Amino acid sequence: MKIFHGTLVALLLILAGSTQAAGTLTPISGDVQAPDFSLQDTNGKTHRLSDYRGKPVIINFWTTWCPPCREELPSMNRAWHQLKQEGIAMLAINMGEDEDTIFIFSADYPTDFPILMDQAGEVIEQWPVKGLPTTYVVAPDGTIAYRAIGSREWDDKTLLDMVRALK
Amino acid sequence: MSGILRTVVTVGLLACGFTMAWLAHAGVQRSSNEDNGLEKWHFIEGDIEIELVQRLPDQTRAMFMKHDFSREVVEAMATSCMFQTIIRNSGRSGSGQPVSIDLTQWRMRYKGKQRGILLKEPLIESWSDEEASPAAKLVVRWGMFPTQQEYLSGDYNWGLTAYGIPPGSMFDLDVSWAEGDKLRTGEIKGIVCAPDVDRLK
Repeated sequence: MKIFHGTLVALLLILAGSTQAAGTLTPISGDVQAPDFSLQDTNGKTHRLSDYRGKPVIINFWTTWCPPCREELPSMNRAWHQLKQEGIAMLAINMGEDEDTIFIFSADYPTDFPILMDQAGEVIEQWPVKGLPTTYVVAPDGTIAYRAIGSREWDDKTLLDMVRALK
Repeated sequence: MSGILRTVVTVGLLACGFTMAWLAHAGVQRSSNEDNGLEKWHFIEGDIEIELVQRLPDQTRAMFMKHDFSREVVEAMATSCMFQTIIRNSGRSGSGQPVSIDLTQWRMRYKGKQRGILLKEPLIESWSDEEASPAAKLVVRWGMFPTQQEYLSGDYNWGLTAYGIPPGSMFDLDVSWAEGDKLRTGEIKGIVCAPDVDRLK
């Protein structure tokens, strides 16, 4: 009976481990330079990626009509409240929508980090994005360190520690 | 001796249990959403998972009308048998291999005939500026599933796939993907396009 219980527990641990991949970031090998951009946020402030050189930056591409984008926004906001005092930046680039659409959306999905607007879709074209959401973590030297295709639980400690380790 | 035996039995049971749990997931599961009646086909094989969720023509009409497509384009897209599609590299096998898809290689079989599925690039190119504004084309570009993509363990993407047959039609889909450099294939049989509003009971 003890063997059975031990086996069951071990099996559950293995199965749990096999699904953990969903909470990870994919390392990008080679020195892939992050394409620079200059975009306005919903408050009218201009953000240039190169101005963030020297600190890790999480860059999330999203739209309001993308269900997994909506799904991960709350955890991104929780992560932002952990990271903002640690010298790590987070920018969410909305693709193709106007300020009014984002404003109405933000009533249901409040976020405190900057939401940048790429209305013509010109910036997203410069990045190797194929679907939404896609998130990149840019290292302090301006190279792309990690990528995540699909949503993540951004306040997961393992995941955030990978970002912190870039400092 | 009994300790060694116990270890051997435990390891054996673990291996069997893990294999059974893995195999139990392989294949195609068809299910229905109790709230809206929409059906889903969930294909699981190796590290890949493909989910196809019926999309009502009216859902597509609403999406395309909102983005100022011409009436002709809206109706053509609404009745083109669209599915909300999710493709994932679950990483279940533990191989750590990337999974790659190329939708140009997928084949659908409908009424005894075989052809590829609709891809977003030719669709977008087929519309004039009068039929779809640059902003509208952006929505399709990012709303429809990418034609080629690679997923590392834990990655997934979602988007619309279209099959270009009437609402309510049934078809089979031959899917293919690569795990590392190994090409793999599978089949999802009896997929049914969502019916149009006037056919709903």
